[in-house]
Amino acid sequence: MRETILSLDRVSKTYGGKPAVRNVSLNVERGQITGFLGPNGAGKTTSLRMSLGILQPDSGTVSLFGGPPRAQALDRVGFLPEERGIYRKMKVIDVIVFFARLKGVAPGTARQRGLQMLEEFGLADVAQSKVKELSKGMAQKVQIISTLIHEPEFIILDEPFSGLDPVNQSALEQVVRKQAEAGRTILFSTHVMEHAERLCDKIVLIAKGQKVFDGSVSEALARVPRRVTLETASDRSLGEVLAGLGRLDRELTKDGTIWTVDLAPDADAQDVLKACVEADVKLTRFEPVRAHLHDAFVHLVGQDEAEPEAESV
Amino acid sequence: MRNIYLIARREFLSYVATWGFWLSLLSVPMFMALGFGMPILIESSQPTRYYVLVDETGGTLEQAVYDQIDATRAEQAERMREVTQDMLGDNPQVQAALESSMQLSDDDYIRVSPPETSLDALRPYLTGQAELETQDGPQGLFAAIYLSEPSPGQIEIDYWSANLTDSGLRAQIRNALRDHMQLEHLVEAGVDPVLIEQADDLAPTVRELNPQRSAETAEVSENERLPIFVGVATAFGLWVVIFSVVNMLLTAMIEEKGNKVLEMMLASARHHEILVGKLLGVAAVSFTLLLFWGGLASTGGFAAQQFMAAADIPAAEIMGTLFSPALIGPAIGYFIIGYLMYGAIFLAVGSLCETIQDAQSLMSPIMLIMMVPLFLVMMAIDAPDNPIVAVASWVPLWTPFIMLVRLPQDIGLFEVIGTTLGMIAMATAVIWGAGQLFRMGALNQANQDTVKGWFKIGKKKSIG
Repeated sequence: MRETILSLDRVSKTYGGKPAVRNVSLNVERGQITGFLGPNGAGKTTSLRMSLGILQPDSGTVSLFGGPPRAQALDRVGFLPEERGIYRKMKVIDVIVFFARLKGVAPGTARQRGLQMLEEFGLADVAQSKVKELSKGMAQKVQIISTLIHEPEFIILDEPFSGLDPVNQSALEQVVRKQAEAGRTILFSTHVMEHAERLCDKIVLIAKGQKVFDGSVSEALARVPRRVTLETASDRSLGEVLAGLGRLDRELTKDGTIWTVDLAPDADAQDVLKACVEADVKLTRFEPVRAHLHDAFVHLVGQDEAEPEAESV
Repeated sequence: MRNIYLIARREFLSYVATWGFWLSLLSVPMFMALGFGMPILIESSQPTRYYVLVDETGGTLEQAVYDQIDATRAEQAERMREVTQDMLGDNPQVQAALESSMQLSDDDYIRVSPPETSLDALRPYLTGQAELETQDGPQGLFAAIYLSEPSPGQIEIDYWSANLTDSGLRAQIRNALRDHMQLEHLVEAGVDPVLIEQADDLAPTVRELNPQRSAETAEVSENERLPIFVGVATAFGLWVVIFSVVNMLLTAMIEEKGNKVLEMMLASARHHEILVGKLLGVAAVSFTLLLFWGGLASTGGFAAQQFMAAADIPAAEIMGTLFSPALIGPAIGYFIIGYLMYGAIFLAVGSLCETIQDAQSLMSPIMLIMMVPLFLVMMAIDAPDNPIVAVASWVPLWTPFIMLVRLPQDIGLFEVIGTTLGMIAMATAVIWGAGQLFRMGALNQANQDTVKGWFKIGKKKSIG
């Protein structure tokens, strides 16, 4: 059984009478990448702040490395907040060394490790530049280095992909994977489902301050009805052909008919294809639709709640 | 402790790298130099005034004018001698220096012989159309003074000058002739001139005594006033230091909030560590300022001591009075607590604001509160027992400033202990409250509108 690094047990937090987090429980286990998903304002940031003891919950308990989130425990955590920034007038290497030293890294080691990480991130040339001279993307890399410089056991990233261009998002995904391969535990919040789907071993979905799902990505996807899209050149009805295999939707086009089949729990795409062939239906298109986490998110959270905030890349 | 040290160190280094710090560092010596130097500069840059005095009575009034001017000067010198003797003892070198300085001031107005005595002839010199040969080369004429006595006992002065503002010479001549006329009047009335001179010298001997002391030690000397001036200087010093770091503190805090650094910091250190670290960092900045200013003052003091030692002045005694542990100890305590109170308030305000404009609306009432002790300190110099000053010294935010001035003035122990306890309690409450505000401000859970809202709620309640 894996060691639990972070545990939230029925934590709640209210701001000015308005509940931000309600009875949320979650466990983050060593070595896993956990995605903390939900629309903006769902309570992700508040939950993460409570996880680190930056905010105190009104009720419930938080356990970090088996105890309350005390200052000493923070040395083992690397936290990249959503509202992030670094000292613009300091030199890049000095900022990194400063944050490393706050986490207890010796000055010499911090400098050496900082230069090495700058090299790895392609920023070796700007080590002595002031942060204000960097581009936004470069500054965000420096922030990430500052978060990872002390080689934390547990990495918490709050909306790490927001504000990054696709190239840098991809680069950050690589960083997350590399950290996970090095045995680190990662918890990141996001409302961009594609990242979570690609990276996470486990996801926790939160909406309106309440947890709506906690499990693996495949378990989340299993909650979404599987679908097959068919297209025929004729307007022949497939109701009888596909009876019992799922719910059908029909759409007439100038070239024929498009059928959408939401598969029944005991049916699969092959059953649909077999039934069509046996009934001599002339298919111009047969497309099993793979469910995405976004669909699971919409399914679990609800269309109204998910649509305004969820976004794709 | 590690985090507090690291945050304080970073704060210190970041402040030292700003222009504001260097301007603050240089502002005090610069203003002091201006304060001392400007009068001297004005005095030395003022051109020597050349004037003509025409005595139409044949010389009687002219003689009377210069006799009276000499007598007035001698009297002023004597008064100065008495004061310095009381403060610094009888010392021939100091007296010689004084006389020399008195002599220097005589050179402001120099009488020259008129090429002509008629006004028509002198008018071009007075209006700058012609120049006289003087010891400084060709110069215009500052004034032409005509003295006449149309009837016995009635003296008239016609003072011709294109300069309407410099009234020094005119007053000198008028006062001299006024004294001469009064003397003549008494002599004509049959009063012996020697008697008049003796009467002029009559003055009571004043002994200032402190009833709180025994008869042998009751007499108060001028030296004993020095600690009051040290107290005033220290109070102003505290005020200037706090005022100097306000802008740096606010600007840096707002910038830090704008750069969204605070939450990164909160992931590494607790909010109280950040608050204390920042306070200590700025305290180190203040200490550096004081060290620099103190170094300059010590250099000046050392130079003065050398002069005093050469002049056989009891320098050690004066320095001992100025820097008595009974004053310096509490001064340091008031300084630290005062700094912590205001520093915590400014940090909390900074954490609530996104821009300097936001901060200004919150800082205005605080600055007004800070201005009050400045006036009260001035009041406390002459009237330490003034009820307003006494009551104000119980207001914890003002205690550090006012008590620094009241402390050397033999106030009761109860007041010292009471105000100190009140101030410590307030400082503790302020730091705690500032910590809470700082945490809320840092996480964007409160801003300047939150603070304004508290007062609006208060108003509504009071109306309802």
